[in-house]
Amino acid sequence: MTGAPVFRSRRSWGANKVRLDMRRRLLGVLCAGLFGCASPSVETTADVGAGLASQASAGAGAGERPDAAPDASYAPYQDKTAFNAAYRRLTESQYRNVIADMFADAVQINARFEPEMREDGLQAIGNRRLSITTSGLEQYYSVARSIAEQVVTNKARDALIGCGADPEAQAAADCATAFIKGRGQQLFRRPLSAPEIEGFVAVWDKARTETGDFDTGVQHALVAMLMSPDFLFRVEAAEPDPAKPGAHRFDAYTIASRLSFVLWDGPPDAALLRAAANGELHDEEGLAAEVERMLASPKLERGVRAFFTDMMQFEAFDTLTKDSLTYPKFSQAVADSAREETLRFLVDHLVARDRDYREVFTSRDTFLNRTLAAVYDVPYASAEPWSRHTFDKDSERSGVLTQVTFLSLFSHPGSSSPTVRGVRLHDIFLCVATPDPPPDVDFSKVQALENGTVRARLIDHMSNTGCSTCHMISDPAGLALEHFDGLGQYRLLENGEVIDVSASIGGQTFSGAQGLGDYLSGHPLVPACLVRKVHAYSVGRTTATDEYALLAKQQEAFAGAGYRMKALYRTILTHPNFLTVRPPEGVPAGPGTTHADTSTRPAASGGGQ
Amino acid sequence: MTKRFNRRSILRGAVAGAGVCVGVPALDAFLNGNGSAYADKAALPTRFGTYFWGLGLTDTPLGGSRWVPETVGRGYEATPELISIKHLRHKVSVFSGFRVIGDGKPNVVHWSGHAAILGGEAPARNRVMAGPSFDTAVADALGAGMRFKQVDVAASGGQSACHSTRNGATFATPETTPLELYQRLFGEGFQDPNDPNWTPDPSIVLRRSVLSGIAEQRKALISEVGRSDQLKLDQYFTSLREIEKQLEIQLQRPEPCEACEVPDAPKDLGNSVTIDVVNANSKMLAKLLAMGLACNQTRVFNFVHTPGTSITYIAGEQKTYHQITHDEPTDTTLGYQPKTSELAGLVMGAFGDFLNEMEAIQEGEGTLLDHMLVMAFSDTGYAKIHSLENIPVLFAGGAGGRHIAGQHIASKGEPITRLSLTAQQLVGVPRGEFGMGAMRTSRPVTEVMA
Repeated sequence: MTGAPVFRSRRSWGANKVRLDMRRRLLGVLCAGLFGCASPSVETTADVGAGLASQASAGAGAGERPDAAPDASYAPYQDKTAFNAAYRRLTESQYRNVIADMFADAVQINARFEPEMREDGLQAIGNRRLSITTSGLEQYYSVARSIAEQVVTNKARDALIGCGADPEAQAAADCATAFIKGRGQQLFRRPLSAPEIEGFVAVWDKARTETGDFDTGVQHALVAMLMSPDFLFRVEAAEPDPAKPGAHRFDAYTIASRLSFVLWDGPPDAALLRAAANGELHDEEGLAAEVERMLASPKLERGVRAFFTDMMQFEAFDTLTKDSLTYPKFSQAVADSAREETLRFLVDHLVARDRDYREVFTSRDTFLNRTLAAVYDVPYASAEPWSRHTFDKDSERSGVLTQVTFLSLFSHPGSSSPTVRGVRLHDIFLCVATPDPPPDVDFSKVQALENGTVRARLIDHMSNTGCSTCHMISDPAGLALEHFDGLGQYRLLENGEVIDVSASIGGQTFSGAQGLGDYLSGHPLVPACLVRKVHAYSVGRTTATDEYALLAKQQEAFAGAGYRMKALYRTILTHPNFLTVRPPEGVPAGPGTTHADTSTRPAASGGGQ
Repeated sequence: MTKRFNRRSILRGAVAGAGVCVGVPALDAFLNGNGSAYADKAALPTRFGTYFWGLGLTDTPLGGSRWVPETVGRGYEATPELISIKHLRHKVSVFSGFRVIGDGKPNVVHWSGHAAILGGEAPARNRVMAGPSFDTAVADALGAGMRFKQVDVAASGGQSACHSTRNGATFATPETTPLELYQRLFGEGFQDPNDPNWTPDPSIVLRRSVLSGIAEQRKALISEVGRSDQLKLDQYFTSLREIEKQLEIQLQRPEPCEACEVPDAPKDLGNSVTIDVVNANSKMLAKLLAMGLACNQTRVFNFVHTPGTSITYIAGEQKTYHQITHDEPTDTTLGYQPKTSELAGLVMGAFGDFLNEMEAIQEGEGTLLDHMLVMAFSDTGYAKIHSLENIPVLFAGGAGGRHIAGQHIASKGEPITRLSLTAQQLVGVPRGEFGMGAMRTSRPVTEVMA
């Protein structure tokens, strides 16, 4: 598998499409009689639609009808060479977005989620290692029960469930089955298999029979689905690749989820699931069309927010604290506002205005609320809670590094830290990791904070051979930001002495935050690092060495597109590399290998059986 | 009283093992001479917990130690940084001189120490352990039949501060505020063991069957995934089973607990990390935890006071404890870092408070502390140089009479996993050896074992 070429030429990709079309037609004929499977015929679509039609108005977002997806009554997947390539625990925001897309405002989630794990610069990579501990699952259980209760007690209950509270026997069974099929598909991001549907209907039936209450049955069935690993984990399923005997590719629903969790930080919508069912996502043009549609959706903002929340290590906000005597203006409201400011700025710049990524380091535009205006020491005249603001030229504010977010997150509770800021800047924006200091390093020459400026104290690090290798890299960038204290407030003096913000990195000399911003906006590693992180974030693993050539091409394409984020998504997500399976350790995937029956998982049509 | 509970009914509960607490009343006639066990040998429950604080204690090449007692064996003196446990020394053993042997692995600063103590081997990298942390083995041994197999608590450091893991990668999420801990222990699902009007909630049977159904239906998934995903799914199913067990326990009438007094919901202190707030938070958490143990909600816990790179600080000062350990020069007259040592004393003050809360609850003729073992340790020895030598370890509590407490055991560089093994054997985990490579040991510290 590892020896297989990463690229597929456009020609073979196109030829593949023809074969797929033929197979789909053939499959439709074969399946229709035997299983009632695969082919999303008009009849089966209408079947699900009948039960769920009323959900659309109260449920999912505008214009998306959960009933539009094809029938769920697929035959079990019979190919014994399929396997699940990865289980990724849903992140907190992904969980919230799945529920929000299903129930909109009808359901509130009040819970604590288990922390993520960061690896190689991204939680999206560390995430694949995470499971769910007992206390974590207790929280999920509590949320699941709360969601189910909110659904059956909501004023839009009938619309959310699909029928009234006390239907006749047959109507009750039909309604419950339709509810389980429709909501199950939204939760599992794929149609449920027949045994799955039976299992959840049995849960409903048992609870209803024992309590005599239809809604209690619905509640228990919904809880069962919400507690299933198929919901709590993103299951990435691989199937034999018809174009490459012995090799594997992701199945269509996995591709749909991979796309939607990257671009929307949430589940596929009905149209995307339909495209998966129709085999369009294994087709070059079909895939491109879906990516284009998704890039144009307002949900793209969620995806961009989630990506930068991960890349910029915003989990540090969870434990951010400042000394109240040193920084009396700090409060939880400041922390929350700062986070929102940075995300609004990035979304506006990269999505709404579709601007050059490199300007993120030089732009004087931002968004403020009244709380932040006090920290930035600028007047706030707007009557709205948030308003656009452009800093004066002499404010020294220049892009994302001079926002309260970066400046306060990467400082100590009672002081700034040029070293921490420099290390994080390199890690986050340049993909340059700084090794840990030697365990037995002698810091004792670093003097107390009460005297002079931090520059003088750090000189020792930079002149000590054991320390200088790293500090020569990390500290200058941080020293250029020293006109901003540990909260991000502007200052010119430290302990009564004038702060020197000149810096020299790699032979380039500049001064202050604006100089640093200009330096970074012209630095080739800055866009290259973004490409690398978006790629790793999208595929959910560290970029492999055999992908470096591909990465270089994607970096070129990014430059060619004027460093536009949307173009970068387009490049990465429509490339065959994004669809290539790397079998996990313990799953042999060579020709002729067999795996356990994946009877729990249905196949999409257009697959390669 | 005697009409509701006779000796036989209490002992029947005790022998059955599950859901046992001290009967009401634990009449002296039932107990053996020293109050540590029932007359017919059914022991009072033993609890186990780890207690972690960051940044070690002060021990300098020039100035000597601020924590290691000069006296070895019984009757050791209270050293400056251990002054907070002075009054409980007879219930605390101090271990000095034990170390982590890297076996060629790097010193992952502020991680290697406790990762080796808990995981049995120096870890390859940060936030990963070689295997399960040993507290989970204790939880499996002692926690059967408990509502919670274990409870994890962090007084500072947030949700990533806990070190307990079943697979070396996913770590338990601790309760970080008194309100969170209160809700876990005494919120929904808690049954007052002393409620005379207890009746089982019939809806729980149905809820449990739903969870069992998921487990049965989804177990088929495990056979078709890669190895690391199998481990993840195993963990998930273990968690699912734990919640089922919690529901099962809610269907059983809880054994009465004399010492159990359901506390009122506490107020949180905010997220400041000044040392006074962290210590106040720690004390409130300890009080709730002690009552959770007394009310029989769990028998195993992991308590984190401060994480390895502790950012606690003295209010109004600019530097954090972690910064100070590295930056503060050694005072040439004193021979040690005075501010670092002051902070170490303040941090250990919280441990004194913690033990006071355990000591305050009466059980049988003794206290809760007598019926538990707390293994307290840090990530490092001398924090200034991230030393993995002479990492301070304390064993507190009687372990139900098995721990010969009140001693100072001084080692000359033996693997610290000997203490992990000793702790496990003291609370009855059937384990003959612990650790891997150079950290592997089959020799517990028998001097402290009765």
